[in-house]
Amino acid sequence: MTLRQKGMALAVAAALGCGGPAVAKTPAAKPATCGEYGTSVQFEDTPADAARQAKKDEKLVMILHVSGHFENPEFT
Amino acid sequence: MNALASSEVGKYVNDNFCSSFQKVATFKIVGGAKQGGNVATYFCAPDGRVLHAVAGPVDSATFLREAQWVVETTRKAMKDSDGDGGKFKAYFRKAHAQKLRDEFGLAVEPVTFDPPDAQDEKDTLTYRDPSGQPLAPRLPPPPIDGPDVRLQKDELALRQTNAAKAAGAAPVLDKRGGQWVLGNQGKVSQILAAHAMVKIEKVYGTVFENVLGEKISTKPVEVDRPFSWMEKDGNRRASAR
Repeated sequence: MTLRQKGMALAVAAALGCGGPAVAKTPAAKPATCGEYGTSVQFEDTPADAARQAKKDEKLVMILHVSGHFENPEFT
Repeated sequence: MNALASSEVGKYVNDNFCSSFQKVATFKIVGGAKQGGNVATYFCAPDGRVLHAVAGPVDSATFLREAQWVVETTRKAMKDSDGDGGKFKAYFRKAHAQKLRDEFGLAVEPVTFDPPDAQDEKDTLTYRDPSGQPLAPRLPPPPIDGPDVRLQKDELALRQTNAAKAAGAAPVLDKRGGQWVLGNQGKVSQILAAHAMVKIEKVYGTVFENVLGEKISTKPVEVDRPFSWMEKDGNRRASAR
């Protein structure tokens, strides 16, 4: 296994909390920087913030890529 | 936003993921005019390697099913790989190949080894966007071997019928020239059977261009809101009312 693979494995292991049955720990108190933007999902301001928070909370990261100039809220 | 507005989806996502957004500039030329607008969701490890993706808008049941799949598969992969990154990556790519068999009845050979990356960001032949950054490569999907031979004829027909009803359903060819159907999620599984655990900046171009059929024009950029008509607190912007 290369050093890079080991590092990745450790990062994933740390992020997912291998020992416990649940992937996520109990969610921490939401920082004031979060927003829901009309959804039920809490969004961090940047992907880097989400990655930092995911490491801290031992969760995965979800990144939404939105494109174009559509105005229809039903679209997504 | 329909799927993400569901309280069930919201609870599951907030319990298992930390989320954020980026804007990807893409467009299509229709009748000489630029048109565009789409969405893709990437489920990643905290270091940005893509475990799974949802291409295009989907309903809340589909979104929840895909989110649950990635969480459950990650748990199994962690247990199976026992801290070995190479095994973890191989497990995930095999899981995507199996998903393609289970849901659409088609077989691909998962690629469990990555050759050295030929693209160098400093290479003079690397195409760059106006900001000077190289664009995401279009990753080649693994070829479809054909139908899953373990399936009875009617089982395969049922899975292909479901594939034909899926969003983005389009004909695909196997190695022998046989014609089958795959929707957006089937194409995502096909791609990730060879490219899961690749960084998001190398995968997004393939999802937008190969799956959603949108042309990437710049790298993803950070924006202050994911939906142009919606404020952070969920109220509609005055200009969008």
